[in-house]
Amino acid sequence: MSFLKDLFEHDGNGWWKIPKTSEAEPNPKNEHPFGDFIKRTKAFIVWLTSGKGHAGPAYYWVIALILGLITLVEVWWFEQDGLRYILVPAMLGFSMVKFILVVAFFMHLRFDHKLFSWIFVTCMVIGVFIFSLFILLSAFHGYGN
Amino acid sequence: MSSNNITVHHGEEINNSTGVSNKKLLMWAFLGSDVMFFGTFIGTFMAYRNKSLNGPYPADTLDIPITTVSTFVLLMSSLGIVLALHYLKESKMGLAKFWLFAVIVMGLIFMGFQVYEFSHFAHIGMTPQVNLFGSTFFTLTSLHGAHVSLGILWLIFLLYNEFNGNLTSDNAVDLEIAGLYWHFVDIVWILIFGLLYLITAGDGVPPGGIPWEGAH
Repeated sequence: MSFLKDLFEHDGNGWWKIPKTSEAEPNPKNEHPFGDFIKRTKAFIVWLTSGKGHAGPAYYWVIALILGLITLVEVWWFEQDGLRYILVPAMLGFSMVKFILVVAFFMHLRFDHKLFSWIFVTCMVIGVFIFSLFILLSAFHGYGN
Repeated sequence: MSSNNITVHHGEEINNSTGVSNKKLLMWAFLGSDVMFFGTFIGTFMAYRNKSLNGPYPADTLDIPITTVSTFVLLMSSLGIVLALHYLKESKMGLAKFWLFAVIVMGLIFMGFQVYEFSHFAHIGMTPQVNLFGSTFFTLTSLHGAHVSLGILWLIFLLYNEFNGNLTSDNAVDLEIAGLYWHFVDIVWILIFGLLYLITAGDGVPPGGIPWEGAH
Protein backbone atom coordinates (compact mmCIF):
# COMPACT_ATOMS: atom_id res chain seq x y z
CA MET A 1 0.00 0.00 0.00
CA SER A 2 2.83 2.29 0.84
CA PHE A 3 4.32 1.65 -2.61
CA LEU A 4 1.00 2.47 -4.33
CA LYS A 5 0.63 5.57 -2.23
CA ASP A 6 4.09 6.68 -3.26
CA LEU A 7 3.30 5.88 -6.89
CA PHE A 8 0.01 7.70 -7.23
CA GLU A 9 0.18 10.36 -4.60
CA HIS A 10 2.67 13.04 -4.17
CA ASP A 11 2.86 16.46 -2.62
CA GLY A 12 2.03 18.22 -5.83
CA ASN A 13 5.54 19.47 -6.34
CA GLY A 14 5.90 17.85 -9.78
CA TRP A 15 9.09 16.07 -8.85
CA TRP A 16 9.28 12.66 -7.30
CA LYS A 17 10.22 12.70 -3.63
CA ILE A 18 11.47 16.25 -3.66
CA PRO A 19 10.91 17.83 -0.26
CA LYS A 20 7.90 20.07 -0.16
CA THR A 21 9.32 23.55 -0.18
CA SER A 22 8.13 26.76 -1.80
CA GLU A 23 11.07 26.68 -4.23
CA ALA A 24 10.19 23.15 -5.43
CA GLU A 25 6.56 23.88 -6.24
CA PRO A 26 5.64 23.69 -9.96
CA ASN A 27 3.88 27.03 -9.81
CA PRO A 28 5.58 28.88 -7.00
CA LYS A 29 3.36 31.42 -5.31
CA ASN A 30 6.14 33.93 -5.59
CA GLU A 31 6.51 33.60 -9.36
CA HIS A 32 5.73 37.21 -10.23
CA PRO A 33 7.57 40.52 -10.22
CA PHE A 34 7.04 40.97 -6.49
CA GLY A 35 7.93 37.38 -5.62
CA ASP A 36 11.25 38.22 -4.06
CA PHE A 37 9.73 41.05 -2.06
CA ILE A 38 7.01 38.75 -0.69
CA LYS A 39 9.53 36.04 0.22
CA ARG A 40 11.66 38.57 2.05
CA THR A 41 8.64 40.04 3.80
CA LYS A 42 7.58 36.58 4.94
CA ALA A 43 11.09 35.88 6.17
CA PHE A 44 11.06 39.21 8.00
CA ILE A 45 7.76 38.38 9.72
CA VAL A 46 9.14 34.98 10.73
CA TRP A 47 12.21 36.70 12.11
CA LEU A 48 10.06 39.22 13.99
CA THR A 49 7.96 36.55 15.61
CA SER A 50 10.39 33.69 16.12
CA GLY A 51 12.73 35.34 18.59
CA LYS A 52 15.59 33.21 17.34
CA GLY A 53 16.65 34.93 14.16
CA HIS A 54 20.00 36.43 13.36
CA ALA A 55 19.22 39.75 11.85
CA GLY A 56 21.19 41.16 8.97
CA PRO A 57 21.68 44.81 8.00
CA ALA A 58 18.54 44.81 5.82
CA TYR A 59 16.34 44.13 8.82
CA TYR A 60 17.93 46.96 10.79
CA TRP A 61 17.26 49.29 7.84
CA VAL A 62 13.61 48.18 7.81
CA ILE A 63 13.25 48.85 11.55
CA ALA A 64 14.86 52.27 11.08
CA LEU A 65 12.48 52.99 8.19
CA ILE A 66 9.48 52.09 10.37
CA LEU A 67 10.81 54.34 13.17
CA GLY A 68 11.27 57.20 10.71
CA LEU A 69 7.77 56.74 9.29
CA ILE A 70 6.19 56.71 12.76
CA THR A 71 8.01 59.96 13.57
CA LEU A 72 6.60 61.52 10.39
CA VAL A 73 3.09 60.33 11.31
CA GLU A 74 3.54 61.81 14.79
CA VAL A 75 4.43 65.21 13.36
CA TRP A 76 1.60 65.00 10.81
CA TRP A 77 -0.83 64.15 13.63
CA PHE A 78 0.44 67.08 15.67
CA GLU A 79 -0.29 69.45 12.76
CA GLN A 80 -3.92 68.27 12.41
CA ASP A 81 -6.23 70.50 14.45
CA GLY A 82 -9.06 68.01 14.06
CA LEU A 83 -7.05 65.29 15.81
CA ARG A 84 -5.94 67.42 18.77
CA TYR A 85 -8.53 65.92 21.11
CA ILE A 86 -6.75 62.55 21.04
CA LEU A 87 -3.21 63.94 20.77
CA VAL A 88 -2.06 62.68 24.19
CA PRO A 89 -3.11 59.01 23.80
CA ALA A 90 -1.90 58.99 20.19
CA MET A 91 1.54 60.34 21.11
CA LEU A 92 1.79 57.93 24.03
CA GLY A 93 0.91 55.07 21.67
CA PHE A 94 3.38 56.12 18.96
CA SER A 95 6.14 56.65 21.52
CA MET A 96 5.52 53.22 23.04
CA VAL A 97 5.66 51.50 19.63
CA LYS A 98 8.97 53.22 18.82
CA PHE A 99 10.27 52.45 22.30
CA ILE A 100 9.43 48.74 21.95
CA LEU A 101 10.93 48.53 18.44
CA VAL A 102 14.25 49.98 19.58
CA VAL A 103 14.43 47.95 22.79
CA ALA A 104 13.35 44.66 21.21
CA PHE A 105 15.30 44.77 17.96
CA PHE A 106 18.10 47.35 18.12
CA MET A 107 18.95 46.47 21.73
CA HIS A 108 18.36 42.77 20.97
CA LEU A 109 16.31 42.31 24.12
CA ARG A 110 13.97 40.03 22.18
CA PHE A 111 16.84 37.67 21.38
CA ASP A 112 18.96 38.06 24.49
CA HIS A 113 18.90 36.36 27.88
CA LYS A 114 15.56 36.57 29.72
CA LEU A 115 17.32 37.97 32.80
CA PHE A 116 17.98 41.25 30.95
CA SER A 117 14.31 41.51 30.01
CA TRP A 118 13.27 40.95 33.62
CA ILE A 119 15.66 43.60 34.93
CA PHE A 120 14.62 46.18 32.37
CA VAL A 121 10.89 45.49 32.50
CA THR A 122 10.86 45.54 36.32
CA CYS A 123 12.62 48.91 36.37
CA MET A 124 10.32 50.11 33.59
CA VAL A 125 7.25 49.23 35.68
CA ILE A 126 8.71 51.13 38.66
CA GLY A 127 9.57 54.06 36.36
CA VAL A 128 6.02 54.17 34.94
CA PHE A 129 4.65 53.91 38.50
CA ILE A 130 6.73 56.92 39.59
CA PHE A 131 5.61 58.80 36.46
CA SER A 132 1.95 57.98 37.14
CA LEU A 133 2.31 58.94 40.79
CA PHE A 134 3.59 62.40 39.86
CA ILE A 135 0.70 62.91 37.44
CA LEU A 136 -1.85 61.76 40.05
CA LEU A 137 -0.35 63.92 42.81
CA SER A 138 -0.40 66.88 40.48
CA ALA A 139 -4.01 66.21 39.44
CA PHE A 140 -5.18 66.10 43.06
CA HIS A 141 -3.08 69.06 44.13
CA GLY A 142 -4.51 71.62 41.72
CA TYR A 143 -2.61 74.61 40.39
CA GLY A 144 0.45 74.41 42.56
CA ASN A 145 -1.29 75.72 45.67
CA MET B 1 39.84 30.07 30.02
CA SER B 2 37.88 29.86 33.22
CA SER B 3 38.16 30.59 36.91
CA ASN B 4 35.85 29.51 39.71
CA ASN B 5 32.71 31.19 38.47
CA ILE B 6 33.79 33.10 35.36
CA THR B 7 34.18 31.74 31.83
CA VAL B 8 35.79 33.88 29.14
CA HIS B 9 34.25 33.24 25.73
CA HIS B 10 35.37 35.41 22.79
CA GLY B 11 36.48 38.15 25.13
CA GLU B 12 33.13 38.13 26.91
CA GLU B 13 33.15 37.23 30.60
CA ILE B 14 30.27 34.87 31.27
CA ASN B 15 29.25 34.45 34.89
CA ASN B 16 28.66 30.74 35.43
CA SER B 17 26.04 31.30 38.11
CA THR B 18 23.84 33.55 35.95
CA GLY B 19 24.93 32.37 32.48
CA VAL B 20 25.14 35.92 31.17
CA SER B 21 27.88 38.42 30.43
CA ASN B 22 28.85 40.45 33.49
CA LYS B 23 29.36 43.58 31.40
CA LYS B 24 25.94 43.31 29.78
CA LEU B 25 24.29 42.55 33.11
CA LEU B 26 25.87 45.64 34.62
CA MET B 27 24.75 47.79 31.69
CA TRP B 28 21.16 46.51 31.81
CA ALA B 29 21.06 47.14 35.57
CA PHE B 30 22.34 50.67 34.98
CA LEU B 31 19.81 51.27 32.21
CA GLY B 32 17.07 49.99 34.53
CA SER B 33 18.08 52.57 37.14
CA ASP B 34 18.24 55.25 34.44
CA VAL B 35 14.68 54.41 33.37
CA MET B 36 13.51 55.30 36.89
CA PHE B 37 15.72 58.41 36.88
CA PHE B 38 14.24 59.74 33.64
CA GLY B 39 10.75 58.53 34.65
CA THR B 40 10.95 60.93 37.59
CA PHE B 41 11.98 63.91 35.49
CA ILE B 42 9.47 63.23 32.70
CA GLY B 43 6.79 62.76 35.39
CA THR B 44 7.77 66.09 36.97
CA PHE B 45 7.58 67.82 33.61
CA MET B 46 4.13 66.42 32.91
CA ALA B 47 2.94 67.18 36.47
CA TYR B 48 3.88 70.85 36.05
CA ARG B 49 2.39 71.04 32.57
CA ASN B 50 0.16 74.11 32.16
CA LYS B 51 1.04 75.37 35.65
CA SER B 52 3.33 78.25 34.71
CA LEU B 53 1.46 81.48 35.38
CA ASN B 54 3.87 83.66 33.44
CA GLY B 55 5.48 83.20 30.04
CA PRO B 56 7.12 82.16 27.91
CA TYR B 57 4.81 79.19 27.39
CA PRO B 58 5.49 76.11 25.25
CA ALA B 59 3.47 77.52 22.34
CA ASP B 60 5.76 80.60 22.36
CA THR B 61 9.00 78.66 22.31
CA LEU B 62 9.02 75.07 21.04
CA ASP B 63 9.97 74.66 17.37
CA ILE B 64 8.67 71.29 16.18
CA PRO B 65 10.20 71.22 12.63
CA ILE B 66 13.73 71.72 13.99
CA THR B 67 13.26 69.16 16.77
CA THR B 68 11.83 66.68 14.25
CA VAL B 69 15.07 66.87 12.27
CA SER B 70 17.23 66.36 15.36
CA THR B 71 14.98 63.46 16.45
CA PHE B 72 15.40 61.85 13.04
CA VAL B 73 19.19 62.24 13.26
CA LEU B 74 19.25 60.53 16.66
CA LEU B 75 16.99 57.71 15.41
CA MET B 76 19.32 57.11 12.47
CA SER B 77 22.31 57.08 14.82
CA SER B 78 20.69 54.09 16.53
CA LEU B 79 20.65 52.35 13.15
CA GLY B 80 24.29 53.32 12.68
CA ILE B 81 25.48 51.79 15.93
CA VAL B 82 23.64 48.53 15.37
CA LEU B 83 25.26 48.32 11.91
CA ALA B 84 28.69 49.15 13.38
CA LEU B 85 28.26 46.27 15.83
CA HIS B 86 27.03 43.91 13.11
CA TYR B 87 30.05 44.60 10.90
CA LEU B 88 32.46 44.44 13.83
CA LYS B 89 31.18 40.96 14.71
CA GLU B 90 31.72 39.95 11.07
CA SER B 91 35.25 41.46 11.21
CA LYS B 92 34.40 43.89 8.39
CA MET B 93 36.48 46.56 10.05
CA GLY B 94 36.16 49.21 7.32
CA LEU B 95 32.37 49.25 7.53
CA ALA B 96 32.46 48.99 11.33
CA LYS B 97 34.69 52.07 11.55
CA PHE B 98 32.59 53.97 9.01
CA TRP B 99 29.33 53.42 10.90
CA LEU B 100 30.87 54.15 14.29
CA PHE B 101 32.26 57.39 12.89
CA ALA B 102 28.86 58.18 11.37
CA VAL B 103 27.19 57.66 14.77
CA ILE B 104 29.63 60.07 16.41
CA VAL B 105 28.92 62.66 13.71
CA MET B 106 25.15 62.21 14.12
CA GLY B 107 25.50 62.53 17.89
CA LEU B 108 27.44 65.78 17.42
CA ILE B 109 24.79 67.07 15.00
CA PHE B 110 22.10 66.30 17.59
CA MET B 111 24.07 68.18 20.25
CA GLY B 112 24.50 71.06 17.80
CA PHE B 113 20.72 71.26 17.47
CA GLN B 114 20.38 71.29 21.25
CA VAL B 115 22.96 74.04 21.66
CA TYR B 116 21.14 76.07 18.99
CA GLU B 117 17.79 75.48 20.71
CA PHE B 118 19.09 76.42 24.15
CA SER B 119 20.79 79.59 22.91
CA HIS B 120 17.64 80.57 20.97
CA PHE B 121 15.53 80.07 24.10
CA ALA B 122 17.94 82.12 26.18
CA HIS B 123 17.80 84.84 23.51
CA ILE B 124 14.00 85.12 23.67
CA GLY B 125 14.03 85.09 27.47
CA MET B 126 13.26 81.50 28.34
CA THR B 127 15.68 80.40 31.03
CA PRO B 128 15.53 77.71 33.76
CA GLN B 129 14.53 80.25 36.41
CA VAL B 130 11.81 82.06 34.47
CA ASN B 131 8.92 79.66 35.23
CA LEU B 132 8.00 76.01 35.95
CA PHE B 133 8.04 75.13 32.26
CA GLY B 134 11.58 76.52 31.88
CA SER B 135 12.85 74.75 35.00
CA THR B 136 11.47 71.33 34.11
CA PHE B 137 12.27 71.64 30.40
CA PHE B 138 15.91 72.60 30.88
CA THR B 139 16.45 70.04 33.65
CA LEU B 140 15.14 67.18 31.56
CA THR B 141 16.65 68.07 28.19
CA SER B 142 20.04 69.05 29.59
CA LEU B 143 20.24 65.78 31.55
CA HIS B 144 19.52 63.96 28.30
CA GLY B 145 22.11 66.11 26.54
CA ALA B 146 24.66 65.17 29.22
CA HIS B 147 23.93 61.50 28.52
CA VAL B 148 24.40 62.04 24.76
CA SER B 149 27.68 63.90 25.36
CA LEU B 150 28.99 61.09 27.55
CA GLY B 151 27.95 58.59 24.87
CA ILE B 152 29.83 60.54 22.19
CA LEU B 153 33.01 60.51 24.31
CA TRP B 154 32.62 56.78 24.88
CA LEU B 155 32.17 56.12 21.14
CA ILE B 156 35.19 58.28 20.26
CA PHE B 157 37.24 56.17 22.69
CA LEU B 158 35.95 52.97 21.02
CA LEU B 159 36.69 54.31 17.52
CA TYR B 160 40.22 55.14 18.65
CA ASN B 161 40.55 51.55 19.89
CA GLU B 162 39.22 50.24 16.57
CA PHE B 163 41.89 52.15 14.67
CA ASN B 164 44.54 50.87 17.10
CA GLY B 165 43.38 47.30 16.62
CA ASN B 166 42.27 46.99 20.24
CA LEU B 167 38.60 46.61 19.37
CA THR B 168 37.93 43.57 17.20
CA SER B 169 35.25 40.91 16.80
CA ASP B 170 36.82 39.13 19.78
CA ASN B 171 35.80 41.87 22.19
CA ALA B 172 32.75 43.17 20.31
CA VAL B 173 30.86 43.10 23.61
CA ASP B 174 32.60 46.40 24.46
CA LEU B 175 30.85 48.05 21.52
CA GLU B 176 27.65 46.15 22.31
CA ILE B 177 27.32 47.65 25.79
CA ALA B 178 28.15 51.12 24.43
CA GLY B 179 25.44 50.45 21.83
CA LEU B 180 22.95 49.54 24.56
CA TYR B 181 23.69 52.86 26.26
CA TRP B 182 23.31 54.75 22.97
CA HIS B 183 20.00 53.06 22.14
CA PHE B 184 18.76 53.91 25.62
CA VAL B 185 19.62 57.57 25.07
CA ASP B 186 17.63 57.29 21.84
CA ILE B 187 14.52 55.79 23.49
CA VAL B 188 14.57 58.46 26.20
CA TRP B 189 14.54 61.07 23.43
CA ILE B 190 11.68 59.21 21.73
CA LEU B 191 9.65 59.73 24.92
CA ILE B 192 10.81 63.33 25.36
CA PHE B 193 9.91 64.17 21.77
CA GLY B 194 6.46 62.58 22.06
CA LEU B 195 5.54 63.79 25.55
CA LEU B 196 7.51 66.98 26.05
CA TYR B 197 7.49 68.45 22.56
CA LEU B 198 4.49 67.18 20.59
CA ILE B 199 1.97 67.07 23.44
CA THR B 200 2.90 70.36 25.09
CA ALA B 201 3.90 72.41 22.04
CA GLY B 202 0.33 73.69 21.67
CA ASP B 203 0.03 74.76 25.32
CA GLY B 204 -0.60 78.47 25.59
CA VAL B 205 -1.65 80.63 28.51
CA PRO B 206 -3.29 78.51 31.26
CA PRO B 207 -6.32 79.74 33.27
CA GLY B 208 -5.11 82.58 35.51
CA GLY B 209 -1.88 82.97 33.56
CA ILE B 210 -0.43 86.23 32.26
CA PRO B 211 -0.04 86.39 28.45
CA TRP B 212 3.57 86.59 27.37
CA GLU B 213 4.56 89.67 25.40
CA GLY B 214 8.01 88.57 24.34
CA ALA B 215 11.47 89.23 25.73
CA HIS B 216 11.99 92.66 27.30
